[in-house]
Order: sequence, then structure tokens, then C-alpha cells
Amino acid sequence: MRRSGIASFVLWICLTILTLLPVWWMLIVSMRPRVKLYSKSFLIDDLYWDNFLAVLNSSSFLQYLWNSLIVATSNAALVCALGLLAAFGLSRYKISGGDNVFFWLITNRMAPPAVFLLPLFLLFTKWFVFGDFMLFDTKIGLILLYCVFNLPFAIWLLKGMLDGIPLELDEAARVDGATTGQVLSNVILPLARPGLAVTFILTWIFAWNEYLFAATLTSSADARTVTTALAEYVSVTGTNWGEMAAMAFLTTLPALIVLGFVQKHIVTGLTFGALKG
Amino acid sequence: MRQSNIGWLFLAPATLILFVVGFVPFIYILYVGFFDWNTNAIDPTLRWAGLQNYRSLVFDTTFLNSLARTLGFAFFVVVSELLSGYVLARALMADRLWGRQFFRTIHTLPIVVAPIAVGATWRLLCVPGFGIVPYYVKLWFGIDYNISTNAYHAFATAIIMDLWHWTPFVTLSLMAGLTALPKEPLEQAQIDGGNKLQIFWYVIVPMLKPVLLTTVFIRLMDALRSVDEIWMLTKGGPAEATRFIGLHIWINVFPKTDYGYGAAMSLLTLYVTIVLSWLLFVAMTGRKGGAQ
Amino acid sequence: MNSFVKAACVGFISLGVWSSTALAQDSWWKTAAQPYQGATIRGISESTPASKYVEQVLGPKFTEETGIKVEFEATSWDQMYDKAIKDMEANTGIYDFVYIEQDIVYTYLARNFLVDITKTLADNAKIASPDFKPENFTTFLNYFKDPKSGNVMGVPMEAFIKPYLYRKDLFDDPAIQKAYKDSTGADLKPATTHDEYTQIAKFFTEYGADKELWGTTVQASSSHPAAFYEFFESIAPTFGVYNWGINGTTFAATEANGGQMNSAAAKKALNYWVGLLKYAPPESTSSTWDEVAGTFAAGRAAQGLVYGENAAWIATDESKSTVVGKVGVSLPPVEAGVMEAAESGKGYIGYYDGGAFGIPHSSKNKDASLLFLQYIGQASVQTDWVLAGSRIVMNSTYDDPKIVDQDKKMNGYYTLMREDGKLFAGAPPFPFHSQVLQVVAPFIYKAIVGEIKPDDALDQAATAAEAELVKLGYRK
Repeated sequence: MRRSGIASFVLWICLTILTLLPVWWMLIVSMRPRVKLYSKSFLIDDLYWDNFLAVLNSSSFLQYLWNSLIVATSNAALVCALGLLAAFGLSRYKISGGDNVFFWLITNRMAPPAVFLLPLFLLFTKWFVFGDFMLFDTKIGLILLYCVFNLPFAIWLLKGMLDGIPLELDEAARVDGATTGQVLSNVILPLARPGLAVTFILTWIFAWNEYLFAATLTSSADARTVTTALAEYVSVTGTNWGEMAAMAFLTTLPALIVLGFVQKHIVTGLTFGALKG
Repeated sequence: MRQSNIGWLFLAPATLILFVVGFVPFIYILYVGFFDWNTNAIDPTLRWAGLQNYRSLVFDTTFLNSLARTLGFAFFVVVSELLSGYVLARALMADRLWGRQFFRTIHTLPIVVAPIAVGATWRLLCVPGFGIVPYYVKLWFGIDYNISTNAYHAFATAIIMDLWHWTPFVTLSLMAGLTALPKEPLEQAQIDGGNKLQIFWYVIVPMLKPVLLTTVFIRLMDALRSVDEIWMLTKGGPAEATRFIGLHIWINVFPKTDYGYGAAMSLLTLYVTIVLSWLLFVAMTGRKGGAQ
Repeated sequence: MNSFVKAACVGFISLGVWSSTALAQDSWWKTAAQPYQGATIRGISESTPASKYVEQVLGPKFTEETGIKVEFEATSWDQMYDKAIKDMEANTGIYDFVYIEQDIVYTYLARNFLVDITKTLADNAKIASPDFKPENFTTFLNYFKDPKSGNVMGVPMEAFIKPYLYRKDLFDDPAIQKAYKDSTGADLKPATTHDEYTQIAKFFTEYGADKELWGTTVQASSSHPAAFYEFFESIAPTFGVYNWGINGTTFAATEANGGQMNSAAAKKALNYWVGLLKYAPPESTSSTWDEVAGTFAAGRAAQGLVYGENAAWIATDESKSTVVGKVGVSLPPVEAGVMEAAESGKGYIGYYDGGAFGIPHSSKNKDASLLFLQYIGQASVQTDWVLAGSRIVMNSTYDDPKIVDQDKKMNGYYTLMREDGKLFAGAPPFPFHSQVLQVVAPFIYKAIVGEIKPDDALDQAATAAEAELVKLGYRK
């Protein structure tokens, strides 16, 4: 067994290097001035921060960062609230055709987003228009839209968690005269809180990372998110790899920070609660 | 379980939102798919075309190639992630592994990186003339690695990038599955004198099946959706070597404004995806009899 | 009654005082912009040096003079199209002025996206600036006129030619000249024919094998329309194939139907261009215009066709370029007879590129934007703008001493543009620009990576282009 331990250790050292290499290279490039970019060395030559400063000083980037924050947070909150209600309904009531509804909900998560780009663009610009207001290029539009993949995810995850809360607890509360609302808020909510936290953080990350919908359904600094900023920046700056790397790094940073909180639950989360991590 | 329609009340808000952002668009592409509609045509209005779009699609080699390419890519990444994920999960579970927690944390990192940033990072690594990968591949192996001329290099890079991004997920979920396995059947098999391969195939795999299927299901669906990373890495090139279906639809719908044809294409793609996911879903839950 | 007179008098006097101070400050703009105080106009443009100047200098200056805020988004070429077209298509009204690249203007006109500037100014004299005179502009303005009415639909903001840049320091080096003579028997000088160009490229690739130097740049991204543009707008015309090889009246592309896309000349052109990749640095197959400029600026190529918008910084900006003071400029090499055709007005030898700002119908601040467009269309703001972005849209600018001085540093790029600009032309007047581009480009990519032979690529491209034109209803 000792031998296998050493072999594993070596394997994991190599793997860690491989995992970190792209990120490390990104960091090196982000700290190189433009004239040194073609250097192939793996070391940070000097602490050159101008690329980061250039990115942070562009007012639109901060605006995009702000948009992402609002969209991801609002969407995660919305999805958790609606997801909890739906999961409660699915878990605690026998709904005729409930299985079919559940399957349909999940299908939404699995459908390729590219398929919905055209209809959503047309709906957002031609149909969902109320007077002067149209959903196209608004944060509200994105917040609603991200439900299409986050809501099924939240429902699945939360349903698994609610199923794990013994039904007897509800019944006991009801016997004591609690209304359905009170059962939900006094019995279910406290017990589901850890699950809700994981759901919130994971849906937040998904919303933060989303690109295709945001790129298609927003246009101006009013609503564009940070992932679209990165994609735009890459093509704008062309050969300005340093700033591109700096921006990629900044885009990733918040998700990395958040990762610290959910690291242990990530498997449970990503497999829709099918596995316990 | 309470027998009541109140359950529907709890489901209603979620269902309503998904109806608007998930179902209405579906109806809309179904409708548009029957028309010839390009806003830059001489006649920019919807012109009834019946099934013409679908008829053209069946013979459209660019579309079919793109679909086949996407399926091929998905198959490749899922199989290789499953294999390497299993090996890594085993390695991570080795009895005396110093720094296990550290490795695990590092390994989790790629999962949360935005696909678009993954693409940007790999572009920095692989772009000809600038990246370190072409440089060192040439230096150490003498191979002219170039993702903008060599279709195989580009396709392989797309796969490797996906491996980098998602193998950790497979590793972690398989590890969770392996940890939860009961010890007795394994010990019994060893006593009965089964060799490692036999134990793996006849004991571990059947017990791990639900976990394997769930993992495959999630990875396959995500692999079929890949657009962001590839867009950043190769823009679908060289030529069309990495133009996966999502990207192909985007090109037809937006720069080309071919709405009718793009809608038909979207619908067919959705159909293929749903059939695949349905088959897997049934495989996952089938034994228990129907969904859930 | 009394009080009324008083009030009127006070009003009158204050008005007089106010207008005289306004005159004293020479601000026609302030007066004209009075009704739009505090408005914000939003524009989108491709991120070129000239656009950057609008964003950083002209926008703020205009705001200072008029109180109208300018929010300016300078993004990539792809994104600029994507956003501007979506906005106008959806009638969202996000943008109050948009960048109109010369090659897309016909699509915008066909779709009736743009506000008629001449007519709007005639209808609303209050906002018509006396300093905005269409006749000041070079003939480049003609691309932005409505063909039917002749009215101005866009105010030119940048214009360039795509010249042939070469490394003057290398071409003038006696040792290199001798080596070139020894190996080829010819004198080393900027190429005038394609054979010479190839020969020079080959020589420098061999000479630079250990110096990170190659013979030529090629804008041959194997997955970006930049490759399509370089071939059809800069290479094919020098072989006598114009307008993408598409017949402007019958919309035929194949030779069999009277088009030129797969003619012998077009095939020769594509073979020549793809052949240059042998002598180009490895990044060429992922190069758009930006990377081409970057490659040249990094001193990695001895010659190349580089968009004029980058000529200035490559030749003068030491923070970004390693070849400052080493750049020569010349006309692109051509086949026999093509130069004569261009001089007689029957053809052209390269791309006269650029763009204008126009106002979409969906804009909610048309008048304020119109003021801004006139503001940047004044002769007085041109000179510094040229220094920043090497773009010239007015005849008078060429004679400015500052420009004459910069022209020297750039080895005569402006002189070339002034004297030989007429040999270059913009993109053909096709409203189906993007559609045919998307259909044809993949075949060019395939030829670049060698998936199919250049001859077959053009045969297939021509057939596909024709099919698309039939589908769109242009070709009967």
C-alpha cells in the first residue's frame, strides 16, 4: 500500500502542475509589458501591473462587473425562492402528472442554449415589449432568462434535500396547528438552510459564468456582463495579450473566491444532489 | 403525501417563468421553422416554405458534419474523462496520500472558472507564434503544432481543454461514489480469488452504475452545449474543424440572419439532444420504473 | 402693463447680454445645443485609433462646449456590427449614432436604417452648423450618400488605404542587397509584381530563419472573415478580379454564368496568396488585421499589406512598435495591365477602407447626435485627429504643416494616399454583404489550411454564393 501511496503522490504532483499551468501562464502574461510578450519563459520577470490598471481603469469594465454582480445575485435569490416553493410542492404533495412536470423542468436545463438564441432574441425585441420598455438589453431580462437553466437545477437540488427532511416533522407541526406557510417557514426553512446556501452559491456561479445568452441579448453597458466583456476585450485588443490575460484573471477571481465556501459541496451540487460528496 | 391541488400553487411561479423563457421560445422556433425568413433578403418578410427548410437540412453536409462533429467531440470527452477520472479518483483515495486535501482543492479549481475564461486562457497557451505550447512542442518533440492550420491539432486541443476543465468534476463525483460503496462485496470477491480486472468489471462497475450514469448524463449534455470555450479558442476553425453545432446555429442566425433555416436547425438539434438525454434518463431511472 | 414692459426689457437685455457673451466665446454650439442640455447620446464604433480619439478627446470637448454627454463604446469589429445591427433591427434605440463601415453602408441603406442628414439639417436650420460643409470632404464621402437622392447619410470619420509596407532598414542594407543580388540576380527594391513579391518573401524567410523574421505578413485567419476580406478586397483586385467576382447586375458568381469568382485570374490570385503562407510567420493563419499589424510592428515580417489605420503607430509609436523609423510605404504589387485599368478608372488595386458615423432611425436623440456628428465634421478638429489615427477625410488636411511633418516620418503614406488614393476603391455596393461573406468565407478558410485546393475552393465558393443569392431573391 505504501508504494501505491507514493505513485499516487507523484501522479498528483504532475497533475497539479498541469492544472495550474494554464492559470500560471495567464498570470505571467498579464504581468508582461507589450514588448516582452513573445518571451517564452515560465517566470514572472518583473511586477508589472499596468495591464491590470488598464483594465480596471476602463470605466466600462467596472460597470460590467457591477452588472454581473447584480444579475448573478438577483437571479440566484429568485431561483432559490421559487425553487424552494416548487420543491416543497413536489416533495410534499401528490401532484397529478407531477413526474412529467418534473421531467419537463429538467429538460430545460439540458437543452442547448444556442437553440434558444433566435427565438429569445426575437421575443425579447418584438414580443415582450411594453410601451417603451423592451427586455432586450436589460438586466431584468437576463435575470429572468437565467432561470431557464438555474431554476430546474435549483428545483432538482432542493427537492432532493426536502425529500430528506422527515415528513413526520411537518405532520407534527400541523398537529400543533401550524398553517402550510408556517410549516414552510418554521420547519422546512431552518432545516433546508444549508442546502439553500449551496444552491445559492452554485446558481450564482452559473449565472456569473454564463456567456452566450448575455452576448446575444444585451448590447450596452446597461446590461452587459463581465464574461461578454472578456470576449469583447479579446477581439478588441487583438494582440494586446497582456490586458486580455489580466481581464481573464479578474473575471475568474470572484468565482474562485466563492469556491472556497462550497468546495466541499460542489459534487453534491453539480450532480443535482444525486451524489453526496 | 398530501393529496391536493395546493401543490400546484407552489409549482406555479416556477412553471410560469419556465413556460415564458423555456416553452414559448420552443413554440416560436417551431413556427418560424416553417418559413423562409431572412431580413436581408429582397423580401424580408416571412414566406411560407412548408417543410423545405427541413428537407434542405437533411442534405446540408455542413450542418450534418457539424452535428456529427459535436457528437464525436462529446463522445470523446465523456469517455476519456470517465477513464482518467476513475484513475485519478483511485489515486486520490490511496491510503497514504500526503496532501490529499491540497490536491483536491487545486483539482476543484477549473470547475468554477467561466468557460469563456477557460477559452481565453487556452488561447493564450496555444495561439501560434505567441503561446508556449507550440513553442515547447516544437522544441521538445519537433512537431509543428498549429491550431490554426491543422484540423487534428485544433480538435485535439478542444478535447484537452475540455478534459482540463471537466475531468475534476468526474474525479470528484466518482470518488464520492467509490467512497460510498459497501466494503463486503469487494472483500468477498478478493477471497474468491478474482483478479483486479474481474473485480473491477463484475463488482465495482455494477455497484457504481447509478453514479456513472448520472455523471455521463451531466457531462454529455454539457459537452453537447459547448460554445464559449471553442469560440474563444478557435472561432470554430481552422476552416470548420471545430465548428460545433451551437456555433453553427449562431453563425446562421446572427451574422447571416437566416432566421427560418436557423430555426429549423435549432429545432432539429434540440430534438437530437432531447432524445439522447431521454435515453440516458431512462437508463438512469428505468430500473426503478419510470421517472423517479 | 408697466411690469410687463419691464420684464420684457429685462428679458430682452439679458438675452442680448447672454447671446453676446455666447458670441464672444465663439460658441455657436452652446446656443444650438441649448434645448438638449443634459441629454446623453450614445455611440458605438470599431475600436480603431481614430475612434479612440473620438472617445477620449472629441467627445469630452463636445460635452464641454454643449452640455450634451457623449457615451462612446469602442469595441471590436465583429461586436460593433453585432450590436449596431441588432439595435437597429430591433428598433431598440440604444445607440444614437453608429459606425458605418464603408462596406456595410449598402445594407444599412437597403434596410432604411439611417437618418437622412442633408434633409434633416435642411428641415431644421437651428441645428445646422455653418462649419459643417459636405464639400470639405474627400470623395470618400460619396460612399455615404444615398444613390437616389445624393443626400448625405453619414459623416466620414476615418479613411485609409491598405498600402504595401516594407522594412526600409532591411531593403536599404547594403549587405542584404548584395545577398539578394547574389541569390536571385535581381536588385532588392519594393515589389511591383507578384513574382517579385514572392521572390522577396522567399529570400527574407531564408535570410531570417534564425532571426524570428519572415518574408511577409498574410491576413489569413482560418476562421475569421479577415481572410475573406484580404483576398477579395486586396489580392483579387490586383489580379483584375473586382467586386468579389460577383456580377453587379445579374448577381452571377460562377464563370459559367458570367461571374468571375472562379475565373482563371481569381484562381491564380488565390494560389499566389495561399502560396505566400510558406513565407509568413506561424501566426498568419490566425491573423486578422490586428495581428498583421502586431506582427509587422514586432519586426517579424519584412513586408506586408497592412491597413492604413495602423500605419501611423507602427511607424511612430515606440511603446508599441519595434520598427519605428524603419517602415517604407508603397503601392501593392499588381499583375500586368491592372495598374493601367485602375488609372483609367476601370479597376482598382486595393481597398479604400474607412467609415462614417450615421444616426439610426431608432435613436431617441437624433438632433443632439446630429450636432455631434457636425462637430466632428468640422475642418478645425481634423489635424490632431489625423495625428492620432492616421485617417484623412478632408482635402485641406493634407496641407497642414503638422501632417506634412508626420508624412515624412511615415515615409510618405499620406502623399501616397493623396496622389494614388484614386487607385483604391471601397467594397462593392452589395446589400447582401454579410450573407454572401458567411457563405464564401469557409471555402477560403479551407484553401488556407489546405483542406481543398484553391481552384476547387473558388469553384465551390462561386456555386454556393450563387445559390445564396438565389435564396435571397437577388439572382433570378
